[in-house]
Amino acid sequence: MDWLFFGEISLAGLAMGGLYALIALGFVIIYKATRVINFAIGEIMMFAAYLFLAFAGGMEMSPWVAVPLAVLGGALLGGVIEKTMIRPMLGESPISVVMVTIGIASILVGLVEMIWTSNPQLLPSFLPREPVFIGPMYLAPKIAYGFLIGMSVLVLYLLYFRFSRGGVALRATASDQAAAYSMGINVRRVFNLAWVFGSLAASVAGILVAATGGLSPQFGIIGLSVLVVVIVGGLDSILGALIAGVFIGWLETVAGAYLGGEYRMPATFAVLAVILVLKPYGLFGTHEIERV
Amino acid sequence: MFNQVMRKGRRLAGIGSVVAALGLAAPVLAQDKEPIVFGGSIPLSGVFAFAGIHIHAGLTDYTDWINSQGGINGHPVEYVMEDTAYEVDRSVAAFKKISGNDNLATYYGDSTGFMKAIASEVNEMNSVLMSGASFATALTDNEQYPYQFIPGPNYSQMFGIILEYIASQGEGGDMPTVAFVYSDTEFGKDPIENGKARAAELGIEVVEEIVTKPGSVDVSAEVLKMRRARPDYIVFHGYILSPINEFMVQMRQMGLDTQFMGTFWSSDKLIIDKMGEDADGYMGVMPYNYYDSEEGGPMLDALRTQAEQSDPEAGYRPTGYMQGWFNAMVWTEVVKRTLDAGKELTGDNMAEALASIEDWDTGGIIGVPVTVKNMSFPVGRIWRVNAKEGRYEPVSDWIHLD
Repeated sequence: MDWLFFGEISLAGLAMGGLYALIALGFVIIYKATRVINFAIGEIMMFAAYLFLAFAGGMEMSPWVAVPLAVLGGALLGGVIEKTMIRPMLGESPISVVMVTIGIASILVGLVEMIWTSNPQLLPSFLPREPVFIGPMYLAPKIAYGFLIGMSVLVLYLLYFRFSRGGVALRATASDQAAAYSMGINVRRVFNLAWVFGSLAASVAGILVAATGGLSPQFGIIGLSVLVVVIVGGLDSILGALIAGVFIGWLETVAGAYLGGEYRMPATFAVLAVILVLKPYGLFGTHEIERV
Repeated sequence: MFNQVMRKGRRLAGIGSVVAALGLAAPVLAQDKEPIVFGGSIPLSGVFAFAGIHIHAGLTDYTDWINSQGGINGHPVEYVMEDTAYEVDRSVAAFKKISGNDNLATYYGDSTGFMKAIASEVNEMNSVLMSGASFATALTDNEQYPYQFIPGPNYSQMFGIILEYIASQGEGGDMPTVAFVYSDTEFGKDPIENGKARAAELGIEVVEEIVTKPGSVDVSAEVLKMRRARPDYIVFHGYILSPINEFMVQMRQMGLDTQFMGTFWSSDKLIIDKMGEDADGYMGVMPYNYYDSEEGGPMLDALRTQAEQSDPEAGYRPTGYMQGWFNAMVWTEVVKRTLDAGKELTGDNMAEALASIEDWDTGGIIGVPVTVKNMSFPVGRIWRVNAKEGRYEPVSDWIHLD
């Protein structure tokens, strides 16, 4: 056994898992607050990455300006989607709302094809290119810096949810909507805030993942990998999203390295099947979740 | 007297008008013959639209050009297509609709999946010759697909050309090593087994084989495997752009001097446009001259003139355009040979005409005379990216596989 190789592979997997965790966080925030399974999360990521391409590539803005603008654009998109398409669906069956999010995903793909064509794209390089070594172990610079940025955003989120008024309102609404409403919390605003924050996390992850692997209108398919993460972790558990994200990222990479690229997805779906049998609500999910 | 002259004059003028009218009508009369229809399932939208748009332009421009030359033996050519979004069911529906036209002779299929799915119907009809975007090895099986051909080398033959080039780079009996990186798709896996067999025949060791998901994926772990295998060459297949760029950039960051090569759909100028300086040195196998190459020839010049005429703003035309044009060129040659032999345009007759193509001068589209073998044109050349110039330049002679 080449332990150095195993260490390097594991490091790359954990770093990728960090980005999965960030996307999963976006997914869970929206679900936790609004009980909507957002199948358009991958496409929101994609849209933010295209915005970055437009700002940094087309308009030649500095990445320091382009990244925040693109992330804000993605967050704004989330807010607009909630207000115009999800809110009118309040009270409808969960499957109808899920279908709306699938429709939104389709619309976003079409929109991107109309504006940026269906050509594959590469984002302008904005992360350092010098190889990163942790001891004797090599880590691709894009993955290493992507992981650092992703983790920083995650920590900021956790601090916000723990200590800010908005975070407390979000957690209160997630625990009991009626109680939160009776305590004077503007639940509708919290719903909107959840979509904005969820989309913001997804947008950061979208730009970082696209910087690593390229961008095309099919980019949103990564949302499927993240669906595995949130189901394994528990749809309404932020801790579950973080742990499962890192674990699935690691597992996918190790399986790809030792068994071959074609076994990446089967390995993660095998874990999903086992978890669903043993813990149908995910590792850290609560029991009253309704599956659709 | 004056009246007589006037009457005679009028009569002469009348005769002159008739003669002039007949003269003008002569080419029109020639084109009064039944049209010959080129059909197509074209992916103008969807994942393959980046190429489909240019394939469509190539087919359209060729049709306009051949009609300006008097059509095929006086028959005008009509190009009828439908957008398929690169979906097999839509391609099949488009074929069924377009094949309702009695004059349909040839057809452009947008994918291997479609060409396989429609094969039994095409075989049963025995009235259409089909080619298209696919270079799949399977389609050169004459038993199963007698009326379908490949407008260039099939993917296995492309690997054969690449491996012959790699073998030619061995010095003093020290044969270079190679690794294959391909997508986990039918397209990606197509040439791998034949490629490994051919490498073994040439004495080239395949030191690593990596399968990835197609498109946007993180390949850091795969690059780490390459760091240990240290191949002299990596051959990519089944990709358009990503993750080729990541392999190249990360491996160069590690200080490896591996060279990178790809097959037809991985060898468009898109790689240069998107990767910039990082694309320098990348090599691809291409059966056609690039639009902006220094090569020339009567047909290549006609293509450039027609392309400029149809869209003066377009500038460079990608490989999809060349491929569309060449498909229609082959159809024309096949139809012409069939008609010249006094035969009907049946699938059998057109397949026979195709098989009879030997040492065919393509007027510069392909740089050497080509011979059809097993319903394909097994010829190609290795081109290398000169990032500074922003184009591919030839680094090998034309390689025609036996």
